[in-house]
Amino acid sequence: MRRLFLKVLRRRRLERDLEAELAFHRDMAAAHGNPVPLGNASALKDASRDLWRFTLVENLWRDLVQAARGLRRSPVFTASALASLALGIGANTTLFSIGVELMLSEPSVRDVRSLVYVRLGEGSHTGFDTLRLLRDSGVFAEVAGEREESFVLWNDGTETRRLFSAQATRNYFDVLGVPVALGRGWTEADPEQVAVLSHRLWLRRFAGDPAVIGRTIRLNDQAFAVLGVLPETHRTLWSFGLSPEIYVPRHNDEDLAVYARLAPGQTLGDARAAVQGVARQLDASRPRSHGRRADAVSVTTVDGLGRLENRNIGSLAAFFGFLLGLAGLVLLIACVNVAGLLLARASTRRHEIAVRVSLGASRGRLLQQLLTESLLLAAAGAGLGFVLALATARGLAALPLPVPVPIELHIQPDARVAVYAAALALVATLVAGLLPAWQTARDSFVAALQRERRMRVRRTLVVAQIAASFVVLAAGALFLQNLWRATAISPGFDTRKTARADVQLPPAAYADRRRIDGFVDEALRALESVPGVSSAAAARLVPLTEADSSRATLTWTDTGERFTVQFNWNAVSPAYFRTMGIAVRRGRAFEESAREASKVVVVNATFLQRHGRGRELVGATFLWGDDPEPFRVVGVVADTKNVTVGEEDRPQVYQPLSQVASDLPRVQFVMRSAIPPVLQLAPIRQALRRVEPAAGLEVETMFSSIGMAFLPSQLGAALMGALGALGLLLSAVGLYGVLAYTVAGRTREFGIRMAVGARPSEIARIVLAGAVRLLGAGVGLGLAVALFATRPLAMFLMPGLSPTDPLAFASVAAVLALVATAAVIGPARRATSIDPARCLRRD
Amino acid sequence: MGNPAPALLQGTLDLLVLHTLRRGPQHGYAIAQTIHLLSDAVLTVEEGSLYPALHRLELGGAIEASWGVSENNRRAKYYAITRRGRRLIDEQQETWSRLSSAVDRVLAR
Repeated sequence: MRRLFLKVLRRRRLERDLEAELAFHRDMAAAHGNPVPLGNASALKDASRDLWRFTLVENLWRDLVQAARGLRRSPVFTASALASLALGIGANTTLFSIGVELMLSEPSVRDVRSLVYVRLGEGSHTGFDTLRLLRDSGVFAEVAGEREESFVLWNDGTETRRLFSAQATRNYFDVLGVPVALGRGWTEADPEQVAVLSHRLWLRRFAGDPAVIGRTIRLNDQAFAVLGVLPETHRTLWSFGLSPEIYVPRHNDEDLAVYARLAPGQTLGDARAAVQGVARQLDASRPRSHGRRADAVSVTTVDGLGRLENRNIGSLAAFFGFLLGLAGLVLLIACVNVAGLLLARASTRRHEIAVRVSLGASRGRLLQQLLTESLLLAAAGAGLGFVLALATARGLAALPLPVPVPIELHIQPDARVAVYAAALALVATLVAGLLPAWQTARDSFVAALQRERRMRVRRTLVVAQIAASFVVLAAGALFLQNLWRATAISPGFDTRKTARADVQLPPAAYADRRRIDGFVDEALRALESVPGVSSAAAARLVPLTEADSSRATLTWTDTGERFTVQFNWNAVSPAYFRTMGIAVRRGRAFEESAREASKVVVVNATFLQRHGRGRELVGATFLWGDDPEPFRVVGVVADTKNVTVGEEDRPQVYQPLSQVASDLPRVQFVMRSAIPPVLQLAPIRQALRRVEPAAGLEVETMFSSIGMAFLPSQLGAALMGALGALGLLLSAVGLYGVLAYTVAGRTREFGIRMAVGARPSEIARIVLAGAVRLLGAGVGLGLAVALFATRPLAMFLMPGLSPTDPLAFASVAAVLALVATAAVIGPARRATSIDPARCLRRD
Repeated sequence: MGNPAPALLQGTLDLLVLHTLRRGPQHGYAIAQTIHLLSDAVLTVEEGSLYPALHRLELGGAIEASWGVSENNRRAKYYAITRRGRRLIDEQQETWSRLSSAVDRVLAR
């Protein structure tokens, strides 16, 4: 700081001062009769001037040029260091860019800063009436609504398909300013029957034909005009890559997510207070039994951290955090490799460095120069890693995921990711470069050269490397075991002999729910008559593809005891339990609708266990919410999983499909088949198509439809496993390097030993013992760290699988030992094949 | 000239300059003269190394410079040692004694 200040302050005066100072010196010398030393006056001035220039920057440039030259001279060293760094930085950047895209990407709207997401105390979505009330209240400049998860049926002339659609208010495109690639978005002046296509739908189903604009397509059996096509990289407000295939104006009464434009100058706090006012009015005019709306108001931004706040993604963020931590360890392993290489290289450069020191380079300058080399390596490594990461992340994002909604991640070069890669490069420079540079600089000043000490440093580094890979591998092993357990867990229903059909009915034709009931009955008869289908049932939800989690306060009518229960809900037809292979433990399943006189439910074993209180549940009745008619429990069935196979069993309540008011024209069917269900898919489709040709059909085997349930464990195993493998590879290279270097350095010693009669096996034992010591220390240290570091993983693992699972840890130690053995073979063989005579004659 | 003056080792000139300035602020020529005289005329500090060293020390904060008037009424740049400079003397003196005794030891064998 002081230097900079002085330099800036004095630079202008420098020339004049220097002249005057030197003139004074000469005059004095002349006056005293001393000979003026014959110096090169201009060189002197140069030297003085140099001091006042920004030498740091100038030196840096010189060092960079020199380092580049040096690296080019040793291509093997450079290539192996670059490969390590590119892999390490690439792995980190890949995960980071996916995480950023998934959680922090900016939605495609105009002026994202002034857009907010509003909750009016009615959950994540709000009724249209309330939305209109909010708009009329004038709290915001503008208010729009969007329902991003609904379906429309599209008939392309030959077949009806179900499209994943978003429905939005008429002012949606105006308020949000969503960019449109082709054509335009709708305005309030447009008729209701218009649509905007996603880029993917346009490419896949309309062959990317620009003439699609203005064309009429049939949606839900009505004519819609195509107005526009969204850009390829459209990012929805909901984020997480969720990408509806088509946008249409709101056409039913489903609740909407509310987005609003802040008025100029309006802050989030202002808006929140004003929305609270609206909610209070609502509470006063339309009070509800379960809590006041005003207590649950939130107004958050739609990008960045604000969005993270209002989406429940704690565990996703934690998962990414853990992945990044592991990837950081992998980078550390890579850096240690580079540090090892630099140390080895330093000993071959001793001569060059000695010359430099004798020419007057200070230790600081030397350090700076050596670090510049690592900086250059790290920067090049980061560049390569960035490119690698972009390709890998794109590849990963393009993998189809077994989820029921279309997910598109648009991985693009991103400034945040670039900054992250650059920061990693700096860290890598210091981690990989500082120790070797410091050691080299010190060695060159303290003359007694210390190969031994340098070896000690390298051995320590390798121990750290083995420890780090132990931790990374342990996480990978835990997740592999997790996946193995997940696939072994029974979801509680038959997934091998069953199939599922998801039927979307044209809403206009099925506005009357009795028509839906009629369709269900007819479809069940048609399905049961398909040869090979032994039973068929209808259900609102098929477990492990969708779940409905509710919370309710129930009251036992006999004792008057009230209790609150969080349960999974479903509505099913009588044959459901038989078809799915869910055992009825007590009582009975539902009977044909005509015979169920009163309201009945079936509960699961966990419900009985938690809320039965020793009561004989079958026959007991309870009151549910505001419904005056009691519900009678007629049966208890076995538990099933509902969202993931790893979840804890939860209470479940089933209602007969016939007793549940249906507001959606959607029905699902499950079929049990005597022959492999994959062979039944076509006949099932035909049977359903005959009953309602205009329905949208998704027919698949149960086994393939529940893929989503295994997704967390599969993703975990794949990602952690890949990191573990990468870490293992890198540390194997490091271990090999250090062993090979040790053997090379002890060639003479081994030669002497063999000359005085040592057998090759004894030499091999020395080399092996060295490797075993390193491995033992590394595994011990890694085990100690892993015992603590893997503890937070418990939240992602199956119940019953401990994050310190002995089997996982033991297998990691075994794998490391195996890799170490492979790494030691080469050096050991080299050591035993030393020719004592040649070796002794050498100097 | 008979025997050439021995070249100063890197770093030792700094130490000599600082040591000289401990007696009070001096201009460059006086510093060179003092070193010359104190070394019994063995060491001759050339201006080519003196002034860069002075500037380096000034930048490092070991000495401070100001323009003053010399004994013969001319404008001259005077250098004065700072507290940091005094600390530096102690450090460099120790380095120097280690170095010189090491050289002695080597030569004694």
